[in-house]
Amino acid sequence: MTTASSPPLYRARGITKVYFPGEEMEVRALDGVDLDLHEGELAVLLGASGSGKSTLLNILGGLDVPTGGTLFYRDRDLTDADERDLTLFRRDVAGFVFQFYNLIPSLTARENVALITEIAPNPMPPEEALGLVGLADRMDAFPSQLSGGQQQRVAVARAIAKRPEVLLCDEPTGALDVNTGITVLEALERVNRELGTLVVLITHNAAIAAMADRVISLSAGRIVSVAPNATRVPARSLSW
Amino acid sequence: MLDLKLLRDLRNMKGQMTAVVLVMACGLTMMIMARGLVVTLETTERNYYTSSRFADLFCDLKRAPRFVETRLGEISGVAALETSVKGTVVLDLPGMKQPADGVIHSLPDGRPRRLNRLVLKAGRLPGTDSRDEVVVSAGFADAHGFRPGDPLDFTVYGVRRRFRIVGVAVSPEYVYETRPGEMLPDPRRFAVLWMGERELSRALDLDGAFNSVAFRLAPGADPENIKAAVDRILEPYGGLSSYGRTRHPSAKLLRDEITQLRGFSIAFPAVFLSIAAFMVSAVLTRLVRLQREQIAQMKAFGYSPFAVGFHYVKFALVAVGVATLLSATLGMWAGSAFVSLYRRFFQFPSLQFVPDWRALAAALGASALTSVLGVLGAVRQAASLPPAEAMRPEAPARFTPTFLERIGLHGLVPPSFRMALRNMERKPWQALFTAVGLAFATAIPILPGVMGDGVDYLVDFQWNRAQRQDAVVSLIEPGDNGAFLSLSRLPGVLFAEPFRAVPVRLLHGHRQWETAITGLPASPRLNRLLDEREREVPLPSFGLLLSEKLAELLHLVPGDEVRVEVREGRRPVLHTVVSGTIMDFSGVSAYMEIDALRRLLGEGDTVNGAYLKVDPFYWDAFWKRVKGIPRIGTVTTTSGAKENFSRTTEEMMGTSQALYFVFAVIVSFGVIYNGARIALSERARDLATLRVLGFTRREVATILVLELALLTALSIAPGLYLGARLSEAVLATANTETMRFPLVLTTRTYVVAVLTVLASSFFSFAVVGRRVARLDLQAVLKSAE
Repeated sequence: MTTASSPPLYRARGITKVYFPGEEMEVRALDGVDLDLHEGELAVLLGASGSGKSTLLNILGGLDVPTGGTLFYRDRDLTDADERDLTLFRRDVAGFVFQFYNLIPSLTARENVALITEIAPNPMPPEEALGLVGLADRMDAFPSQLSGGQQQRVAVARAIAKRPEVLLCDEPTGALDVNTGITVLEALERVNRELGTLVVLITHNAAIAAMADRVISLSAGRIVSVAPNATRVPARSLSW
Repeated sequence: MLDLKLLRDLRNMKGQMTAVVLVMACGLTMMIMARGLVVTLETTERNYYTSSRFADLFCDLKRAPRFVETRLGEISGVAALETSVKGTVVLDLPGMKQPADGVIHSLPDGRPRRLNRLVLKAGRLPGTDSRDEVVVSAGFADAHGFRPGDPLDFTVYGVRRRFRIVGVAVSPEYVYETRPGEMLPDPRRFAVLWMGERELSRALDLDGAFNSVAFRLAPGADPENIKAAVDRILEPYGGLSSYGRTRHPSAKLLRDEITQLRGFSIAFPAVFLSIAAFMVSAVLTRLVRLQREQIAQMKAFGYSPFAVGFHYVKFALVAVGVATLLSATLGMWAGSAFVSLYRRFFQFPSLQFVPDWRALAAALGASALTSVLGVLGAVRQAASLPPAEAMRPEAPARFTPTFLERIGLHGLVPPSFRMALRNMERKPWQALFTAVGLAFATAIPILPGVMGDGVDYLVDFQWNRAQRQDAVVSLIEPGDNGAFLSLSRLPGVLFAEPFRAVPVRLLHGHRQWETAITGLPASPRLNRLLDEREREVPLPSFGLLLSEKLAELLHLVPGDEVRVEVREGRRPVLHTVVSGTIMDFSGVSAYMEIDALRRLLGEGDTVNGAYLKVDPFYWDAFWKRVKGIPRIGTVTTTSGAKENFSRTTEEMMGTSQALYFVFAVIVSFGVIYNGARIALSERARDLATLRVLGFTRREVATILVLELALLTALSIAPGLYLGARLSEAVLATANTETMRFPLVLTTRTYVVAVLTVLASSFFSFAVVGRRVARLDLQAVLKSAE
C-alpha cells in the first residue's frame, strides 16, 4: 500500500556515512542514498553483508546521523540532530525489533511491554499489544520460558505498544527457523495493515521480499534498485 | 602471553581494580600501622624496662627506718631492692599565677640507682652532697622550656626554696607522666623531680628512713608470696599495699594502649579484608563470565585447567601486591605520625617507629588468602568449563517472580523496581555482601562521632554537672577544722566543702581492690555524686557508695556486704554494705559520709582538703595567698583540668577520627562503585536496548543504580545499628578502671554517617552513570548475548 501521492514520512537526499574519514582505513558505508519512505508502506531493504543496509536503518532509526546529505522525518531534520533530539525521536516515533530480541530477562512478557508503555505518550495497553502478536496466553512468562519465535513476538509487541509511526526491524527472523520466522512476519504484517505503521525490514533473505510493497536493494553503500511488488504475498505463504 | 593478556585486562578494569585495591589497602594500612605501633611500643618498653632495671613490685609507706631494708632484702625471691624517699612539691613557675604541683623522688648519693634508673636527656645527675640541685622530668621541662642551669622555685614540705636544674631525665616509672589518680598527662601543671637522697630526706623530715621501696624479683619467684611478705613487714610502718606492674599507673596505661592497639590490628583489617575479598570475588566472577569464549579458546589451544585457573588467581594476586605496596607506605607513614603523637604522651629515652616486617608478611598472606578464597568459585568455574560448552554463549538468565509478587504485592511497584528486586533475589549472596559492605560503610563513620560526643558528654558530666567546685586544695598532712576554716577563708572563696580521704583495701569474697574512701558531706553541693541518669545520689549515714566500675570489678551490687581495711592510722577493719553506685569516668572510688568515716577512724574533724567555689574576680589574690601557705600540697582547678582534658583528647582522637572517616568514604565508594560497574557490565545489553527504545540517559542510569540505591537504603538502618554496636565494642576495649568513655549516640552522628554513605554513593553513581553515555547502541542491534 504505497501512498506516493501524500508527502513521504522519510525524505533522504544524498546521504553518506563515512567512518574514519581521511584515514587510511576510511569506510564509505553509505555513498549518496536518495530515498523516500511513505506512511503505511512495508519496505524491505535487501543486500549482502556490508552493503550498508544496517547503517541506513541506524540512521533512519535515529541511532546515528549521516556524515553528509539531508534526512527529514516529516518536518523533523534528523541530519544534524543532537543526542537529545535523537532520543526523543526514538522514544516518540520509531519502534525497533532486533535480530536477537533483546528482551529484559528479569521482566515478564507483559512487563517488557509495560516498561515501554510507561514512557510513551499514547500507548496501547500491554495486553492489547501482546494480543496483536498472538501471545495473550503467555503474558506472564519470563523470556527464558519462551521459545525464540515467542520472544521475538514479545519484541514486536514491545515495539508497537507505543503506536509508533515507523517500525524498524533488523533481521527479525535471522535467528529463527522458517515456521517461527513466519509467525513473526505475520505479526509485522498485521501491524502494518491494521495500524498503518511504516515497516522497514532489513533482511538478506530474498524470499521475504515478496511480502513488501517495495524492495530496495543496496550494494556498496548505494541503492542499486527499487522494485515495487505488484501484489504483496501474505507472510504465511512465504517459504525459504 | 597469558601475562600480557592479564596486563591488558587489568588496564581495562582499572577503575574496579583501584576500588578493590583501596579497600584492601585500608585494612592493610590499619594492620601495618597498628602492628607496627604494637611492636614499636613493646620493643621500646621491653628495652627501656630492661636497661633501666624497672622494678617488678612497688610499695609506699609512711616511714620505715633504714634497717627494715635488710629484712625486705631477705624475702625469698627478691633479687634487688631500692628504698627511697618521695614527697609532693608545689612549684611557683614564672608566668603562671596558678602554682603547679609535682612529686619529688630521691636519688642515692654517690652511686647509681639499682632500680628505676633515670635516663638523662640533658645535663647530669645531682653531685654527691650537692645542695639545691634537681633533675626535672622531660615532659615538664619541654612544656616550660627548662634547661640545665635554669632556676626552679618550689615548696617542699612547707619550705619554699630556690633550686637549680642540673639535668633533664626520663624514668621508667613515669613513661606516662600523670598526677597520681589522674588519667591524662598535664605537663604544664605537673612535674616529676629528683634530688639527692640526703638532702631530700632532710627536707621531708625522713632522715635515716624511707617511705617508698621498689623490688626486682628473681626469675620464677611468686609475686603473690613476696607481696604478702612485704605487706607484713611494712604494715607497722604505715605500709600501703604493695603492687606489681599491672597496677603501676604508668606501666598499666602503657599496657592498656598496647592491648587496645593489638585488638585494632586484628578486628579492623578483618572487616576490610572480608569486604575486599567479596569485591575481588564479584569482579572476577563477572570477568570469567565475560571471557567464557577466551577461556574455551585457551583450553582448546591446550592450556591446562590449572594454567587457566591460575591466570585468574593472578588478577587477585596483582591486587593484593599493589595493595600491600600501597599500604606498607601508608601504614609506615601513619605509624610514624602516631609515633610522633605518642612522643608527647609517652616519655621514652627515644621512640622510633619500628615496622613490623612479620606483620607485613602476615598482611600479604592474609589478604592473598582472603582474596584467593574470594575468587576460588570463579576460578573453579573457569578451570572446569569444557571448551565446547564455553564456546557457546551462556544460557539466558532465569528469573522468577519475587517473594513480594508471590504474595500478591507486585502491583505496587513499577517494572524498573521489579527488575532490581528480581536481580537481588536471583543473586542473593551478591546482594547480601554488597549490603554488608554498605552497612559497614555506614557504621564506620559513627565511630569518630561517638568518640567526639563521648568526650563532650564526659566533659559536661564531669565538670558541669558533677563537679561544681572551681578548685580542689589538698593539704600535705591531714588537718583539723581550723585548717578547713583557713581554707574556706582564702580570698574570694564563696563556699567550701571539706573532704577526708583514706587509703583502703576493699574485699569481697576472693576479690580485693586498693583505693581510697573519700568522705564528703551527706549532700555535697560542690563535688556532687550522680548516677547514670545524672540524678544526685545522697551519701547514706551508713554504708558506701562505689563507682559503678569498682562495683563491677568487685562483683558487688547494692546491698552486698564489703570488708574495708583502712591502710593508715590505727588501721581499723570494718564490715559495711554497698548502699549504691555512682557514675564516673576516670579512676574508681568509694565514698562515705564524712562523719561516718571520721567515726570509723576514731577521729574528730579531720580533713585532707577542701573543694572551693571561688569568686572569679579574686583569682589573683587567691593564688597569691595559696602560694604563701606551706601546708598546701596541691591545688587543681576545674577549668585547668577541663581544658587539659579537652586539648589532650582532641590531640589523641583527632588523627584516629580522620582516619576512620577516610576509611568509611573509601569503603562506601569502593563497594558502590564496584557494584555499579558490575551491574553495568552485566546489564550493558539491556541498558543499551532501553536506550535504543527511547529511554534517556538519565532514565537508563536510574535503572542501573536502582538496585544499588535500594541496597544502600536497605543497609542504612542495619548499618547504624552495627555502628552503635561497633562503637560499643571499641569503647569496651578502652573501658578500664583508669578511664571509661560513655557511649553517646546523637542524631548528629547518625546523620553524618548517613550523609557520608549517601554522598559517596551518589558520587559513585555519578561516575558510573557517565558510562551510560558510552553504551554502544548500534552493537546491541546486531549482537547475540
